[in-house]
Amino acid sequence: MTYKFRLLLILMSGWCLVACSDDEMPDIVIDNPAEYDFVRDGSSTVSFSGQSTRIAMATELINAMKDFNASSQLMLEMYANETSSGGDADPYSDPALNASTKSVKSKVAASSDFFSSNTAESAIIKAEIESWIISQVSEVFPRKDNLAEKGLAGQIADGSSVRYVNADGLEYNQAVNKSLIGALMLDQMCNNYLSTSVLDAGENRVDNDAGTLVDGKAYTNMEHKWDEAYGYLFGAASNTKNPIPQLGEDSFLNKYLKRVNDDTDFAGIADDIFEAFKLGRAAIVAKDYNVRDQQAEILREKLSTIVAVRAIFYLQNGKIALENDDFGGAFHDLSEGFGFVYSLRFARKANSADPYFTKAEVDTMIGQLTAGDGFWDLTSTTLDQLSETIASKFNFTVAQAGS
Amino acid sequence: MRSIIRSLIILALPIAVLWSCTDDDNSEGKNVQDTFNRQMMLTGIADEIIIPSFEHYVSKLEGFRVAGDQFSLEASMPTLEQLRLTYLSAYKAWQHVSMFDIGKAEETKLRNYTNIYPTDPNVIEGNISNQNYNLLLPSNYVAQGFPALDYLLYGVGQNDADILSILESNAYRSYLSELINRLHDIGKDVLDDWKSEFRTTFINNNGSSATASVDKLVNDYLFYYEKFFRAGKIGIPAGVFSGTPISTSVEAPYSNRYSKELFQESFVAVQNLFRGISFDGSTTVSSLEDYLQHIQELNQTEDVAQKILDQWSLAEAQVNSLSNSFKEQVETDNIKMLEVYDEIQRAVVLLKVDMLCSFNIQVDYIDADGD
Repeated sequence: MTYKFRLLLILMSGWCLVACSDDEMPDIVIDNPAEYDFVRDGSSTVSFSGQSTRIAMATELINAMKDFNASSQLMLEMYANETSSGGDADPYSDPALNASTKSVKSKVAASSDFFSSNTAESAIIKAEIESWIISQVSEVFPRKDNLAEKGLAGQIADGSSVRYVNADGLEYNQAVNKSLIGALMLDQMCNNYLSTSVLDAGENRVDNDAGTLVDGKAYTNMEHKWDEAYGYLFGAASNTKNPIPQLGEDSFLNKYLKRVNDDTDFAGIADDIFEAFKLGRAAIVAKDYNVRDQQAEILREKLSTIVAVRAIFYLQNGKIALENDDFGGAFHDLSEGFGFVYSLRFARKANSADPYFTKAEVDTMIGQLTAGDGFWDLTSTTLDQLSETIASKFNFTVAQAGS
Repeated sequence: MRSIIRSLIILALPIAVLWSCTDDDNSEGKNVQDTFNRQMMLTGIADEIIIPSFEHYVSKLEGFRVAGDQFSLEASMPTLEQLRLTYLSAYKAWQHVSMFDIGKAEETKLRNYTNIYPTDPNVIEGNISNQNYNLLLPSNYVAQGFPALDYLLYGVGQNDADILSILESNAYRSYLSELINRLHDIGKDVLDDWKSEFRTTFINNNGSSATASVDKLVNDYLFYYEKFFRAGKIGIPAGVFSGTPISTSVEAPYSNRYSKELFQESFVAVQNLFRGISFDGSTTVSSLEDYLQHIQELNQTEDVAQKILDQWSLAEAQVNSLSNSFKEQVETDNIKMLEVYDEIQRAVVLLKVDMLCSFNIQVDYIDADGD
């Protein structure tokens, strides 16, 4: 009942847009399925194994960063899936990952739209994440049995948990984990696979119109590109066709989609995102590229919203904890916030070629977080100001995001 | 359609809460002055509940320490049995002070050093074997306090003879003594502070701001109720949060027979503070229950205090049907654990929404993120 009604609405809106914009193809009918399930000649055409693989590799990396027995060499190999000299590496506990030729690092800050002619910045970002991995082992691990102090790395209590921080109070493992949400997931989705530069690259449109499949595959190139965007959000889901009932199945974007969706101020965002992915994919099958691109724009805004909301959420919670002299709790929140702020560089405005924040703007915010003795020196004023700066670019308030 | 109704309910809930919590100025007859004597309540709670509970706790720790010294002098089955008895008495006494995470207890993180579980045998064994450890580090929360003692006294060997022979070695004996002495010392520091200075500070801080004693005490109480009583003792082992029951996460899993007793002891403490029943049970003092009734009489609203007590009665009845060992209960019939959890949980709304609104107290903690 609900589903049919929704389908009707979608079809009506699609008809209206098509009818209003150009008259060439007035009667495209999009067959929008209930689940993310697309089939051609009896075979599924959906594939995003490469994304599932990278999520799994990134998961091993962030876990290794919490293992005092792990070396930085091992972690760097998990990041790059190769040795420091470029040879084959087998750093993962999962043999399937060791057998893979894919890597996290090669897709960090590597989108077509933002970085194809901006390789210098891409290299800086890749190296920055690498430097946090190295510093975890060189700065934090040696002081794991010491209490952290202003200007000194070590351990600090967060309730009954223990956090391991650098001299500024930053947990490098959180910095890496949360920055990858932007630098890997968000960038690959918003600025690569959902972009016309990738979806329509080469002969993709002609092939998709003609139903020409990739050699040996059940899908067209364009279908696959769209699925790869989907895979960065749902690639670790246990039910990839209908992932919304069980969100939170990875430690990256999926997890925080759940968190934002659980906030009553943003309830429904998960359904909106899933519907946009599904309709966009159905539109590709129906060769309706207007509807496809409309969904891509919806996705850019909503996916960017997840990162911005969580950035503000953690800055605000860090502020409250600092006001209560709970440094351990504050540093943990601020470490997550640091990564989400870093991720804002990759957030993409809808109907625009621009990010919400430039690298310089994000660097300024990161600079404010790490100035002096870093989190030890942060004030409520700074954290409020940063929160406002972020919220001002979106259509929600600090109060809505902060709780 | 059903989901639309659910969404509407979800949307409506916070609005209803906000409404009843904030301005009553515009609704007739509801803008009443809260004239409850907060200082009198604080005085009664300090003198008849908190300080006697800590005195009792420290006296039990002294008994534990004496038994520890005896065991150090002569490790034998009788001295081990005595040590175990005094361990249980002290652990039960702890249940009456754990919720008072205020003043020196908060400053020194007494609860973290006393009762973080599950304990980590690997860390304990590592400390014992390399002899180079700092019990002040947060990473050693899991290697000290009652949970570590539960492991040492009951879990370090396959049977009592094994346990005794292991504990006889100098390295184990000295670690055991160090844990017991430290537990005693940090508990006594808090008691001493209450008796020397903090009682006066606590009682005189009788306002109604976020940092006032009533606001802090009630927040500590609710935090304890949600995190340590509900989640720690029942919810986490029953798998409420993870989806998978973890029987080894119960309180005192190595002795494997006291988790229910400890839970019931803490439940008595939870109810006694609410009702103002003195530690020795001989008298009652002005309490949260009285405060709630005071507000209810002023506002002519329903009797929330009675609803809370009724809810707890239901929970207590459910607890009675559990095994003495929660570990065993989780492993054999976890549904019963979940049912207890549900009854405990049903009181959370009454406490956290209805009671806090009545007292005009803001919650000062947020549910941890869990990552």
